[in-house]
Amino acid sequence: MSTLVEIRDLRKTYQTGSICFEALRGISLDVKEGDFAAIMGQSGSGKSTLLHITGGLDQPTSGSVRVGGTMLQAMSERELALFRRSQVGFVFQFFNLIENLSVQANVELPALLKSGQSRRDIHKRCAFLLERLGIADQAHKYPWELSGGQQQRVAIARALINQPALLLADEPTGNLDSASGDEVLNILRQFNQQGQTILMVTHAASAAAQADYIFFIRDGLLVDQMPGGDEKAIAQHLADLR
Amino acid sequence: MHAVWQKIWADLVHRRLVSLLILGTIAAAAALLTLALTTLFNLEAPYDKSHAELNGAHLWLHFKPGRVRSMDIRQIESLPQVTESTGRQFSYTTSVRFDAQRVLVSLRAISLEPPRVNRLRLLSGRFLLPEEDALLISRDLRDIYHLGAGDYLEITCADGRRVSLPIVGVVYDPMYDNYRSSLPPYIYLTQDLLASLFPDKSTWEWSLGLRLANPEEVQSVLEQIEAMRTVTFIASHTDWRDVRSSAIFDAQMAFIFLSAFSLFAILATVLIVVSIVSSTVLAQIRQIGILKAVGFTGQQVLGVYVGQYALLSLLGTVLGFLLGLWLSPLPLKTVTASLNTIYQPPFNPWTMLIVFCAVPGITMSAAAMASARGVRVNTIQAIAVGGETLLKKAFWLARLLEKAGAPMPLVLGVNDVFIKPLRSLLAGINLTLGVMGVVFGLALSDTIRVYRHNPALLGIVYDAIVTREQSSDERAQRLIGQAPGVEAFYGEYLLEAKTLDGRSLKLRAVEGSLEAFPFHILEGRFFQPDTSEALAGKGLLDWLGLSVGDSLTLILDKDDGPQATWVIVGEYPEPADAGQRLMVNLSSVRPLLKHSSPSVYYLKLAPSADAEAIRAFLSPRRESDLNFMLMEDVIPSTVIYLQIAVFMLAGILIGIAMVNILIMSLLSAQEKLRVVGILKTLGMTPWQVITMFVTTATFLGVLSIVAGVPAGLVLTRNLLNLMASFTGFGQISVTLENLAFWGLLPFTLFVSVLGSFLPARWAAKVYIVEVLRKE
Repeated sequence: MSTLVEIRDLRKTYQTGSICFEALRGISLDVKEGDFAAIMGQSGSGKSTLLHITGGLDQPTSGSVRVGGTMLQAMSERELALFRRSQVGFVFQFFNLIENLSVQANVELPALLKSGQSRRDIHKRCAFLLERLGIADQAHKYPWELSGGQQQRVAIARALINQPALLLADEPTGNLDSASGDEVLNILRQFNQQGQTILMVTHAASAAAQADYIFFIRDGLLVDQMPGGDEKAIAQHLADLR
Repeated sequence: MHAVWQKIWADLVHRRLVSLLILGTIAAAAALLTLALTTLFNLEAPYDKSHAELNGAHLWLHFKPGRVRSMDIRQIESLPQVTESTGRQFSYTTSVRFDAQRVLVSLRAISLEPPRVNRLRLLSGRFLLPEEDALLISRDLRDIYHLGAGDYLEITCADGRRVSLPIVGVVYDPMYDNYRSSLPPYIYLTQDLLASLFPDKSTWEWSLGLRLANPEEVQSVLEQIEAMRTVTFIASHTDWRDVRSSAIFDAQMAFIFLSAFSLFAILATVLIVVSIVSSTVLAQIRQIGILKAVGFTGQQVLGVYVGQYALLSLLGTVLGFLLGLWLSPLPLKTVTASLNTIYQPPFNPWTMLIVFCAVPGITMSAAAMASARGVRVNTIQAIAVGGETLLKKAFWLARLLEKAGAPMPLVLGVNDVFIKPLRSLLAGINLTLGVMGVVFGLALSDTIRVYRHNPALLGIVYDAIVTREQSSDERAQRLIGQAPGVEAFYGEYLLEAKTLDGRSLKLRAVEGSLEAFPFHILEGRFFQPDTSEALAGKGLLDWLGLSVGDSLTLILDKDDGPQATWVIVGEYPEPADAGQRLMVNLSSVRPLLKHSSPSVYYLKLAPSADAEAIRAFLSPRRESDLNFMLMEDVIPSTVIYLQIAVFMLAGILIGIAMVNILIMSLLSAQEKLRVVGILKTLGMTPWQVITMFVTTATFLGVLSIVAGVPAGLVLTRNLLNLMASFTGFGQISVTLENLAFWGLLPFTLFVSVLGSFLPARWAAKVYIVEVLRKE
């Protein structure tokens, strides 16, 4: 498998007044196509910043990010928008659905922002995803009419509507009860098994266990890496890092 | 209390731009209200000031030739109500000639020393010098015939000599009046010069100006004077209040416009304040929840918001009031200019009281109403979910657009209009007010254009006027009928009449080819020939409380003259005497008054008619007495001035509307940051974000056109008709040119786009991570 995400010596410094905060202090890592990778670390360790830069939401202070051969730091605002629209899909902890759009409209939104796609194809793909995620009967409902787990499924469908190369998930189970969380992780696993590359930020060992491998970050540095699967080992490793 | 002030200050500083925009809007409203009130309270002041400066007479008596004696004058001057007198004044009515024109004038003898009563004000040139054979002319001759110092007038003396005399100055007479009066323009000269031109003093007319202890007692003094003798010895009189009424007419029109626009501006301000406060409160519900959680009482929360707007409205009102005071001489400018005086309206505590009560009062009430919602909010709910109680379903039009395949930013933009229907409604109403203002300006401008091209609508149905002096009516009619390019004409005998209750008016008794003239009948029909039917001006009907179908009995010519009754069969736009005239068949007057033959003829000219050829035909020689005058500019320049003023005020309203759109878009952008962040995450480009915001404003712009154009036309019609009731024109038909109408659409859309573009750009540049992190 070829490398999909290639991060080299990534640094990010935030400046508030005279105070500088180094969120990332030179991280390098690779994620291959078809991998399910997780990033773990404590709050403030820099894992979300890493995810945001990888998804083209933020720009690094230095270093490079290459996704599918595209160097992100050289891109304009518009190019980054087009990149996010076609190359990556985002799933957030708080779902971030548009409240007054129906489930179907939410899912189709990224595809409709893109020109050159037929509405029919978009509808078909949306229907397929909703069916796969088990919420086809909710298509005409609004987000506020759904449970948390259902809302997160809608968010996953929305993230996948444009068939992105990379799915980025930021604490996707953080706002769900354990049953709903497990369902969401299973769904992610299923999509991964069908070839979808996933990079997930989490601080839950149970979630990270679903990943093929896990990157551990502390104070903006990549401090370790281990394979997924064993939830206890992961939890222990995380505890050791504290 | 300290905490409340701290929060007020923090909010104002944090929302600097919005605070400044609100401040500007409040200041504009306060300035307009100040202007309107100052104009209202000072409508009569420039005339009063000028009258006082010149020690003007309150009552001017014009005596019948040969009927008044010196002892009568002395007796009048000794009346207890009379404080000062001009003394006996001599005048002689004759015609003067200049270029090819001949004009009837009143030559009035004046002393070289400024008199105690009714001094003249020099408008240009200089006063007369001792032993100088020169003339001063009244303002009318300057305005109508463009005469001035340096020009010469030719006067034919009693012995037939022609004397050419120079004009050395133009003067204003505080008691010269042409309202319900047929006084010819005045020319002033020394008594010696008058005597050398017309030595027979028995042909001189006598008049007398009186200052009264109580200027409001004109009528009772007049009645006392009339009762002195059994014979009627007063031909006519001039009441200083009538002169004042005609002098302030322009200011009254300015006041109508200003007050209408002030109300608009106040309404717009209220809408903006309600809209902004509601939005601010909504955007800060979470913060309000936190404030309440840390111990703010409901009243303190209310205090935070009302306090903010109290500060802004007080500061805005101070600025607006000062601006209004500074601009206040402008609406009165037409009056002061015509009186050649400078008038700075004085500080009036009532104006200040009204402005300082109305503007902050309305603003703070709006703020209190909107922020009451924040007071009622449940603390826990506020902290947990904030105030995002938006419309929860997509708007049907947005869904329809989406199904029709419209681009997504457009769909989302339209949907946003209905997410917050109240705020959109307020912004829409505000924009509608702006559109109404522009429609008002355009419709007024177009209506004036239509009236200018068709003066018949103003009652000017003729192209030229011919007057005669010595020539007989038969000769005049024969010559006019033969003149080249004259298609039709009718003659008019203008006579004085009185109602049975003593109100005097002018009667137009007409005969000739009336059917050839496009008389504009506002109601009813034109009178039949050779009947006792009449047409009345709107002003006359209003004044006498009559309507079409009523009968009117008048005493003709003099107090003991014959009576006649006419049935009013129609209403027409009478351009003179504020519409207080009656038009009748001359045939209905002729049997009652022996010498009732026309002295004025109204002509309809062929399109190719040569005015100079007609003039040469009618007055081939210098001594010819038929005077030809072409009608040119029938719309007074003051109307044009008002037109400009209306456009300026419409501009202010559009400015206010644009500020509202700007504020609405800015607040919307601030509230929608999270949504914008999500949309950008999903791949919305900056340009698509801008399109979304601009679509919302544009949609409101379209709605405001739909509502604003008909509303603007209704407003214009009503305001113009209000004006028309002052002038006595009757109904005015308001028009709006197609081009102007269609031009409104892009203009309003431009305003909407301009107002929303900056906030949209700001939203497009939002830092996604920051927005998502704040979640």
